[in-house]
Amino acid sequence: MGVPFEAFLPYGIMIGMFAISGAGLSTLRYMQNGGKRGRRGLDAWDRQMMERDRRLTGFMRGQTDRPEAPPGFELNNPWKLEKRFL
Amino acid sequence: MAARQPRFNQHVLIDTTPLPDDIPKVKEIGASSAPLMSASFFIGARCKPYNDDYMMCKTESNGRGELECMKEGRKVTRCAASVIEDINKHCLTEFRRHWECLENNNQQLWNCRSVERPLNKCIFDNLKLEKTVPGTPEGEVPVHLRKKQIFAMHG
Repeated sequence: MGVPFEAFLPYGIMIGMFAISGAGLSTLRYMQNGGKRGRRGLDAWDRQMMERDRRLTGFMRGQTDRPEAPPGFELNNPWKLEKRFL
Repeated sequence: MAARQPRFNQHVLIDTTPLPDDIPKVKEIGASSAPLMSASFFIGARCKPYNDDYMMCKTESNGRGELECMKEGRKVTRCAASVIEDINKHCLTEFRRHWECLENNNQQLWNCRSVERPLNKCIFDNLKLEKTVPGTPEGEVPVHLRKKQIFAMHG
């Protein structure tokens, strides 16, 4: 006794939707990390070093091993303004 | 009323308020976080006197160290840049392999021992800088020289 194929259409739609969202999120993470594995367990020092990497290379996960910074590096440091807490 | 007018444009890319001339000029370090992490123990091996000098100056200047110890700070920057320059000159392939491994493994040194050993050897042969982990107990094998590693994702 065969099951009509119409019975499986909703399952196909459900699986397809999960696949689309999963592939989208994985692509997003791949692009954010520049093809490398993600960082985890970051503390304040790691975050400020990643911000420095962004200032040096233009990308949060970019890396460079030049001994001297490119011109303009010392000028692209924005002032860190403290939030008023009163 | 702010004392300084804010500038919000992309055109003025020169330093409008440079440091005074009595502070020696220095180029900032250009290496980013993973190469710095990879070179850190060698920077420590060569620049320990300069670093200690800077920290002592900061301790003794009662909170005004950022301004008064700029001369010592320049020496620290120059020394670190010289180490990175030498590593780039002599051990570039090992260095790159190590910091790319670090960057792929959350910058954890214990995940990249297999590529760290050739780097340590090359730097010791060429630059005579040896990695020593400060604070290792007497008579114990330092963690980067152990033959057997219990856990690592990369190896």
